[in-house]
Amino acid sequence: MMKWISFIIIFRFYSLTAQAAPVDEYLRQLASEAKQDDPSFSSFDAMRGEKIFTSTHVGKRGKRVSCTSCHGKNLQVDGENIFTGKRIAPLSPKANPKRLSKIKNMKKWLRRNFKDVYNRDGTAREKGDVLLYIMNK
Amino acid sequence: MKTTTLFLSALLLAVPLAIVTTADDDYEKREMYQKYQPMNNTSGRLDDDTKAEDRYKREKSNRCGAYGNRSMRALQKHEALFRNECGSCHMAYQPEFLPKRSWKKMMATLEDHFKTDATMDPEDHKKIEAFLIANASDSGTPNSRREAYREISRSIPPGSTPLSISKTYKFKKEHREIPIRLIRQKEVKSIANCAACHRKAEQGYYGERDLIIPNYGRWDD
Repeated sequence: MMKWISFIIIFRFYSLTAQAAPVDEYLRQLASEAKQDDPSFSSFDAMRGEKIFTSTHVGKRGKRVSCTSCHGKNLQVDGENIFTGKRIAPLSPKANPKRLSKIKNMKKWLRRNFKDVYNRDGTAREKGDVLLYIMNK
Repeated sequence: MKTTTLFLSALLLAVPLAIVTTADDDYEKREMYQKYQPMNNTSGRLDDDTKAEDRYKREKSNRCGAYGNRSMRALQKHEALFRNECGSCHMAYQPEFLPKRSWKKMMATLEDHFKTDATMDPEDHKKIEAFLIANASDSGTPNSRREAYREISRSIPPGSTPLSISKTYKFKKEHREIPIRLIRQKEVKSIANCAACHRKAEQGYYGERDLIIPNYGRWDD
């Protein structure tokens, strides 16, 4: 009985401390995908991420846009959807702790927004790069 | 000794679980809290909208009663999800405006949703579709909200499946006199941005009382 209880206690503590931030967990997943795509992949790069985030492309609407068109250049303040006018909460986790807090949401927005801006899916490497950039902004 | 350890381990089990659940349901709870707060009534008198709000809430709880408590909670949870998902890019338009067939088509074409990718997790997709269909203009029992939007939903011919409320006959008729510059201005951007002029659109009220067009003022017919 005592053995069993201490096992539970240890397990709970372990799972608490081992709960890495979701963004780190997702970056790990993306890194292994990126390595599969390209064996020479070493690590993500926030500089490449910045380029992905700020460069303009012909998006899904046939208009030249970049991520900054809606999110703005300063990720610590609100953005605005240029098509609907809806306010977008800050993207930086430093200003908005809800950002990058769920893998499900990170996957959803990266899938949608790569389509919107690049009119194609993002690769694992691109997603990791841009996440790293957002994390540190 | 044994009981103390048992108690301790139960506590240790419960605490992290509680943390995880609160974090997950955080936005849902806040949404519900906001939703069931009485509306600000600056004039201090019970105006038509407040009456309408009360009536709608009463009807909603009656409707939920018929489903039983469990489905009621499920339905309310779906509503929070709907507001969060659909409302992150645009106003979460009331599903009572459009018929079931419109919402089905909407949910089947999210890959190209008004030229944006609006795809979502399959579980969420199912829940939101269920919520939209349960609240469509042509499903469920008549209530004051369906009644209020009746003129728009009835102006949709049986053979058409509009995806925009703004494409319906009655909507166009109601908005035809508004100069295009007032719609295109940066404070509004598009005719689909209800809340830019209808200050209580998010809560479902589109009456002239709360209608203020930016850089113009009140609009009188």
